Amino acid sequence: MAKKDTKKKGAEAPKVNENCGCLIDEFIVQNSPDKERLCSIQEADFEIFTDPDAEKVSNEFYIKNQTDGLPIIPPTRSRVDKFLKYSDLKPEEIIAILPPKRGKATLEKVAINAVMAGCLSNFMPVVQHAVKAVSQEKFNLPGINATTHPISICAIVNGPVSTELAINSGAGCLGPGNIANATMGRALRLSMINIAGAVPGIGDHATMGSPAKYSFCFAEAESESPWEPLHVERGYKSDVSTVTMMAAEAPQNVNDHRSTKAEDLLDTIIHTAAVAGCNNSHVPGELLIIMGPEHVKTVYDDGWTKDDVKEYMHEKAIVPVELGDRGGRKLDEKWITDGMVKITRSPEDVVLVVAGGPGRHSMVAPGFGTSSESVTLPLMLKDGTAAKSVEEFKG
Amino acid sequence: MKVKIIEREVLNPLADTEALEVEINPIPEKIDSISFVDNTKPNADVLLDTIRENLKFKNPINVRKPAGAPGTDEQMKQVRADLSILTLGDCGSCTTWLILDAIKLEKQGTPTISVCSDIFAPFARELAESYGAGGLRIVEVEHPLAGQSRESIENKGQKVINQIKTIID
Repeated sequence: MAKKDTKKKGAEAPKVNENCGCLIDEFIVQNSPDKERLCSIQEADFEIFTDPDAEKVSNEFYIKNQTDGLPIIPPTRSRVDKFLKYSDLKPEEIIAILPPKRGKATLEKVAINAVMAGCLSNFMPVVQHAVKAVSQEKFNLPGINATTHPISICAIVNGPVSTELAINSGAGCLGPGNIANATMGRALRLSMINIAGAVPGIGDHATMGSPAKYSFCFAEAESESPWEPLHVERGYKSDVSTVTMMAAEAPQNVNDHRSTKAEDLLDTIIHTAAVAGCNNSHVPGELLIIMGPEHVKTVYDDGWTKDDVKEYMHEKAIVPVELGDRGGRKLDEKWITDGMVKITRSPEDVVLVVAGGPGRHSMVAPGFGTSSESVTLPLMLKDGTAAKSVEEFKG
Repeated sequence: MKVKIIEREVLNPLADTEALEVEINPIPEKIDSISFVDNTKPNADVLLDTIRENLKFKNPINVRKPAGAPGTDEQMKQVRADLSILTLGDCGSCTTWLILDAIKLEKQGTPTISVCSDIFAPFARELAESYGAGGLRIVEVEHPLAGQSRESIENKGQKVINQIKTIID
């Protein structure tokens, strides 16, 4: 076990061993103000503290099932302390109790996992609120963490914090290349593994899991959208920063380069989303649609509002009963109309956001079905005011 | 001159857990009411039929609850009885909510027996332990159940009945 940084306190001069041949040491010790230097009977003349080797620590943590398999940043005291500064909570304050182990997600434990994930310290307010959001009862974290389904946890950031933290909402926002997108979702995943006990095969029973379980975090491209962004739709002012957590499958691409009418384009999206194998086919629920800006423009220029799109998707995204009712949970007859099942319960279940760069692509990601609802939380200070900047979290 | 290089310590990412204690209700000697809970997992109903028929209990209370989510307040009220037998934990989320609902019933005063597949029973026991209900009664049925014939489930059910009878006799 490595030692803590502590100052050595030795008030008395050490006893000189005359047999050791360190007469010069004796001379210097006697003339040294702290009487401790350069004597061979001391364990060391100097103690130099160094950060542990990242490769070694990664391996040690990996062996104990404490990583996602990728290398980690060693969570040293000094690194964790930098993260703790970006919260107005005390390190020991409990943000949430996380199942299945019912681990206490204190601010410090979340910070440790955020350090390991490679976050920057000012990402902490988002990570802290993400952990709080997934612990809300309606999110159904006990089911989400333990399920054999490959459900991941998607984080969508809205408001000014997206720009402040340079969270990618543009080209490649669901892929590699951006530290915020890559590490904030990873911090949440590591928190699930280490705090909740959702260790694959032990507390997380996903039959195969999903690449989206490493990190699934992006910002909405609010400036690219003609519609109100997700957080405004959910009742927050546009200058409030929020994080929306949704249990979602890994996204599936919708390639439509040819549609010029809204209806045609939306039909392509619907035919990608309405599939037999998703949970929504037998337990209808939320459906995440991430529309690329070029697709949005086509739909908007055709005169469609966001509500029009959500209504259309709700009505048209259907699967035949004989295909839908093959899932783990029995399809309730109340969801059947004329032999078909709508994969969403209402237009509100269509979680529609705009993100991505140039190109005619969108993404669809079914949710967990009836038993999990997404949660949007504003980044709030302890006194209940919405933070305009992550810097406000610093004490 | 001797220089000692000391590695800084790394902090533990694992969390402390919240200590809970749930009292498990004894099964009464005279059982006047049994509720049979079907969480709609494939073949949970067949397994429950097998158990119900074998126990030959008059006027059983039959309740369905969601598999990957908690039972509603109304469903949990209907389930209250001298004994409740819950099926089926054969995946992650259904095992989770079978066990958490069983614990809720125990807290409400109803003794329970939960049926989980042998693959998911160890997780069921760990989960129960985490929620302070280490003594929760969990019986095992051979995995898998989904996608199997009725005959196969009935055969697997016989072994479950033996376990249940050992508990209630």
